[in-house]
Amino acid sequence: MIAALGAIIGIFDPARKPTPLEGFTAPFVFGRFQIPASNPLTAEAVELGRRLFYDPRLSADNTVSCASCHKQHLAFTDGLETGVGISGKPLAFNSMSLANLLWGPRLLFWDGRSTSLEEQALMPVQHADEMAQDLDLLVLELQADSHYRELFDIAYSELSASAIGRALAAFERTLVSANSRYDQFLRGDITLNDKEEWGRKLFMAHPDVKASLRGGNCIDCHSQFLTGGFKMRYDGFSNNGLDEEQDLSPGLGQTTGNPAHRGLFKVPTLRNITVTAPYMHDGRFSTLEDVLDHYNEGIKWSSTLSPLIAEADNVNKKALSRISLNLSENEKKAIIAFLHTLTDDEFLSAEKFSDPFLKNGKPQ
Amino acid sequence: MKKSILPPVIILLIAMIVGFILWPQRITGDTQLILTFHPVVGNQALVLNEVRYDNPAGEGRFKIRSFQFFISNIRLTGDTGEYVVPESYHLVRFDSANGQYVITLNKVPRQRYLEIEMGIGVDAPANGTITVSGDLDPNSRMAWSWDVGYKFVLFEGGLVLGDTQYPLVYHVGFDENYKIISTPLAADLFKENITRLDFQVDILRLFDGANRVDMSQLSNVKFDRKDAKQFADNFPFILTSLPPRAP
Repeated sequence: MIAALGAIIGIFDPARKPTPLEGFTAPFVFGRFQIPASNPLTAEAVELGRRLFYDPRLSADNTVSCASCHKQHLAFTDGLETGVGISGKPLAFNSMSLANLLWGPRLLFWDGRSTSLEEQALMPVQHADEMAQDLDLLVLELQADSHYRELFDIAYSELSASAIGRALAAFERTLVSANSRYDQFLRGDITLNDKEEWGRKLFMAHPDVKASLRGGNCIDCHSQFLTGGFKMRYDGFSNNGLDEEQDLSPGLGQTTGNPAHRGLFKVPTLRNITVTAPYMHDGRFSTLEDVLDHYNEGIKWSSTLSPLIAEADNVNKKALSRISLNLSENEKKAIIAFLHTLTDDEFLSAEKFSDPFLKNGKPQ
Repeated sequence: MKKSILPPVIILLIAMIVGFILWPQRITGDTQLILTFHPVVGNQALVLNEVRYDNPAGEGRFKIRSFQFFISNIRLTGDTGEYVVPESYHLVRFDSANGQYVITLNKVPRQRYLEIEMGIGVDAPANGTITVSGDLDPNSRMAWSWDVGYKFVLFEGGLVLGDTQYPLVYHVGFDENYKIISTPLAADLFKENITRLDFQVDILRLFDGANRVDMSQLSNVKFDRKDAKQFADNFPFILTSLPPRAP
């Protein structure tokens, strides 16, 4: 009764202000982050964004939601080589994991074609093969729903395409994965076992035969704590030797027009990497073993190949004809053991990130 | 004729009063200091990703994919005091639209400074922490793992010898390679609201300074301390101050 009264007052109180999101924290090792002043992180914005994220009404025929390709239990990926939306045609790229988006490259998508989460969120909604939704129609559709009207009114004082993008972005910013075994290790709560620790050291080292340092070379692109791409400019994009010169995809070059960016793709986070198969921008590798084999002995040379990959070797390189890390089988297994410590079960099952239209896994 | 004497006297008086009021600010006020770094490769302009430069110490021609380095702990010193820039860790890189790197320091107290001092690299205490400060970011491309610290200078590219392009990787750090350089300043600086200092960064001198580093013989420097030192001894040679610009 009191709650209902409160809700009624809430609806009719024109001055009802959004409440700042409480309890939002992140490990200090992730570094600084910025919330845009035009889209403050409020409880109402995040609640609204979560609802929109899981709402199939965002697609033209009300069958596809953001969560169709970004499933929580798969760290917001879909298990497919490339996503499939409303048209049923395979999309150009593998669906990216959505974790720790407040950090890392400021450019979004594998080819860096978007510069903000707010802008990015509306692109799949409108894409003919993804959700094929007209934004003006979507606004009308949502206006017919009193719950949405109320949430939009409190969070953004308007129900508009811009507010839809901002709400989705606000929810996405809260998707922080920070309780994997690696995080617990960084906090000093646990120790890693010998194999994981060996893998961690290999992950964190660029090999140097002269200094007797063996390494898996991962850290040259995947930052030590976030395990994602670097933040500044195009530092978070790399050509990791997937294709020969004649087969290079445009990649980042599609966005920048710079021929030196041909074949460069965004370096993804490795958080929850055990559940985000298949791997790479086109999902060409189905297991982590395949990925390690690629870096160890499958690198293809091209003019834009990262010199860090071309140069890295755990034995004295005699010729460039065969680029290889020359890791042992056990070293590869150790790196994979370390990658398993990046799985964050709390993130994969947290209720606050789950479908709000379901209760105990069933429609309400 | 007599009448006309009075206004100039009043004007002079007003000017003296105004001057008196403003005088303390002229010596104790602030200036904005703009440091601009202009890259060159020997006598050529810096153009990224093009094989266009001769190896200065040996065979082959090379291209630069990336070049960035840290300038730390900028300090202005003079006989009346010094100014220490807070959180002074600046990642110098030239991949912006105009190809220059600019450090803008607001509210630098106006004094007669005689020298500007800066470090190339990262000082040992900062190099040993994972705390974010200035441009120091442990999740950035300049960070090694936390037990090794930061790369002070990063140079990546390729050397073409015959038909083959060899990768060039110079990631050079370590506490012992932190270099502090001092540059004398002209006496008439820091009098305006904006003070400009310009520096040239000659990337070629990384390979031809105190030591000659032949890319064809030493195509990468990472964790070998002797190689790192030999390369780092060339750091101070890359920076030269340019004559003051006309205001």
